Amino acid sequence: MSPVIYYFLSFTAINILMCWAFYLPYRVGQLHHLVVSCMMASAYFSGYAARQWSWPFALTLLVGTAIGMLICLLPSFAIGDAPCFTVVIVGLTVLFIMKTAIENTRALGGTLGFFGIPQVNNLLLLAYLCLAVAGLLIYRIDNSRLGRAASMVFVDRDAASALGVDVKRLGMLFQIIAGGLAGLAGSLYAFLIGSLFPEFFNLGVIGTLMCMLFAGGHSTMWGVVISVPVFEGLHLILPTAVASWLQVIYAVTLIVVILVLPGGLITKKMLVKVGERFRARPQTVSIKGGIKE
Amino acid sequence: MKKNVLRVEGISVSYGPIQALDDVSIEVDEGEIVSLVGANGAGKTSLLRAIMGLQKVHTGRIVFMGNDITNTSTDKVAGSGIGLIPEGHLVFSTMTVLENLQVGGYHYPQEVSSSLESVFESFPVLYKRRNQIAGTLSGGEQQMLSIGRTLMSKPKLLMADEPSLGLAPKVISEIFNILRDLNEKGYPILLAEQNAKKALEFGDHAYVMETGRVLFQGPAKELMGNPKVRHAYLGGNV
Amino acid sequence: MEIFVAQLLNGLSLGSIYVLLVLGFNLMLVVAKIIQFAYPHLVVLSMYVCWGMLKYTNNMFLVVLASIVSCVIVNVAIEPIFRALSKKHGLDINVSFVVSISIALLITDVMSHALNYGFPIAFPTDWVGKSVLNFGLITFSVGQAYALIGGIAAVALFFYLLYRTRQGRVFRALSENSVLASIIGIPVVKTRILSYAIAGLLGGVTAVLFARLLGSASPSLGDFVAMKVVAVSILAGLGNLKGGLVCGLLLGIAESLAMGYLPGSWSNAIAFMMILIIMLIKPEGLFGIQI
Repeated sequence: MSPVIYYFLSFTAINILMCWAFYLPYRVGQLHHLVVSCMMASAYFSGYAARQWSWPFALTLLVGTAIGMLICLLPSFAIGDAPCFTVVIVGLTVLFIMKTAIENTRALGGTLGFFGIPQVNNLLLLAYLCLAVAGLLIYRIDNSRLGRAASMVFVDRDAASALGVDVKRLGMLFQIIAGGLAGLAGSLYAFLIGSLFPEFFNLGVIGTLMCMLFAGGHSTMWGVVISVPVFEGLHLILPTAVASWLQVIYAVTLIVVILVLPGGLITKKMLVKVGERFRARPQTVSIKGGIKE
Repeated sequence: MKKNVLRVEGISVSYGPIQALDDVSIEVDEGEIVSLVGANGAGKTSLLRAIMGLQKVHTGRIVFMGNDITNTSTDKVAGSGIGLIPEGHLVFSTMTVLENLQVGGYHYPQEVSSSLESVFESFPVLYKRRNQIAGTLSGGEQQMLSIGRTLMSKPKLLMADEPSLGLAPKVISEIFNILRDLNEKGYPILLAEQNAKKALEFGDHAYVMETGRVLFQGPAKELMGNPKVRHAYLGGNV
Repeated sequence: MEIFVAQLLNGLSLGSIYVLLVLGFNLMLVVAKIIQFAYPHLVVLSMYVCWGMLKYTNNMFLVVLASIVSCVIVNVAIEPIFRALSKKHGLDINVSFVVSISIALLITDVMSHALNYGFPIAFPTDWVGKSVLNFGLITFSVGQAYALIGGIAAVALFFYLLYRTRQGRVFRALSENSVLASIIGIPVVKTRILSYAIAGLLGGVTAVLFARLLGSASPSLGDFVAMKVVAVSILAGLGNLKGGLVCGLLLGIAESLAMGYLPGSWSNAIAFMMILIIMLIKPEGLFGIQI
């Protein structure tokens, strides 16, 4: 496989996972930037464990996911139901603290980067398998009472809690699952790319992910499945001179999308319409004896 | 023949799919008190909001002092001389009484001090409390402040939206006396009021509204005698 | 003790920069109802403008003027984006946050690509100035004195404007209830644009003071400062101007004290650690949200 296609497929898988990690907490109206820290921690842990301790791939992946969940678990006690802007700042500060810590740790390569992560056979296949499992999990959550409760919280937090939704526990749950997804993405990232640099995990990544999520549509999980490959493909097609301005392209796209297409490319309404077309007509329910007044 | 101040010609307003006003026409002449009577949701507030430019008008025209003000931005409508006393004695509750009044004179910065004098003259209680935070006033005082703040903008037409809402009966009659005095000083008044009896007693001319339409109109005294109006709004045997 | 006093002075001058930034940020927050995350990035951009001007002229007045003009122009130029946003989404603060983060990314990327080849810029040494006070190893420079005095003057002017002038009353009225404000005849759009302009003016002044205090700037400076500014503003309670004053000074002092006693490469991390801890203890801020 040519390296170009390999990188395209790897980054697509990782970014879809990360976008889903953003998507879940946004269901309850939180921009959970902490997931990038989860990804970073898990990536560095996986890389270190695989290289120094020769841990097997599956174990590393599991522990990486657990680390992501753990990082989200601890703050979620405080910010499970916090307003959006507080969650954003918590996420950004943790990211910068973690970055400073890694840059100052010799064992993790410092600012020079961390190299030599062992290769795994059939990694892309395994990565897409993980993606499918994660997708199934999110689909199940979206179509359960949790998903419906989340939609209510997104529209009106107070009304939702008045109707008996435990906003904080819902937020915590979504944050932790998002952390797990990001941990998984980080672990896969370490193995797929093979080297890690602290500069990679910055505000730019957050901007990229937000752009992909909002352009694809933040009200369903399917939007990013389309938008991520498109943006990654764009990355490859564009000439280098233009591609170096990618951050600017992402930023402008994000602003334009929010102004012109507030719901993104794929919205919930659209999905409902498509669903109606494919679904069989609802059965008419007959009640014996008719309805009594 | 009295000069016409405000003329609303067949306006329609809707909030999404819900029709709030349907082909409503009213007129306010110089020196006149016009009452809008109707139950909650009849469209009185929607009409005032439409005149004020807070609600988009789909069809029809609103003419104020000979100028078409349909769908003009709210601040321009206010600047042209329509003073709305909003529902629920709204004041800027973190600012002082004096600041509330000063901010009311936005369009006449040179004449703020002279307007202040005349407002304090009509509302001595506001002068007494001028350095108090407006949020700490009583409901009646807030309503007086709301009226005073509107007067600061030198309106050519006063519109009052449910001025009696949430106030004690004694305070209500005080507020109505103030409005009566203002009318005698020459301000034409358009009053939206749920209390039909009060509104019909108070107004010279009245419009009875229901579900976004004008049902009856005419001199207030005549409407008081109209058996249908009496039955529907004045509780039958008043 | 000497170190403590010196770092306290350092902290006050750094804190007064934070206070200025938080004031501009909060003005746009309460009047226009947006979270302008990119505001500190604009200030850093104006520092670049100062730096560019200093290559051609040494005239202090011209440099300050250029800084102010550039900051006002860029800030006002951003306004239509947020106005279109509020037309589409209503006054949704979260969405304005997303948009302003992307504006911040845009500015950062432009700085790191197009200005000084992405390298950090250094202001001439006489710009920071000699030290006026010496405490053993630690000194209090002219730049710091400028930051402190200029900061106090700007804050005093700002509060005078807001609480003693006609325009300030209009801002406060609009921030409290924009519908009522329009009913009494306040032009909402014009007043909002004016708030961007005043925040820009404040930003231009801050840029000069910040440049004199730091003596350098880099594309990533905007991100660091923006996070601190937003954090201070949240801690103080979004839109709480006086709370922002207190919290901004406190952050500056705490950061300087930490820097005085702890190793250097961790200084930003320490500031963020403090922010993080307080944020986790008090997610809604210390003094209550006022928007």
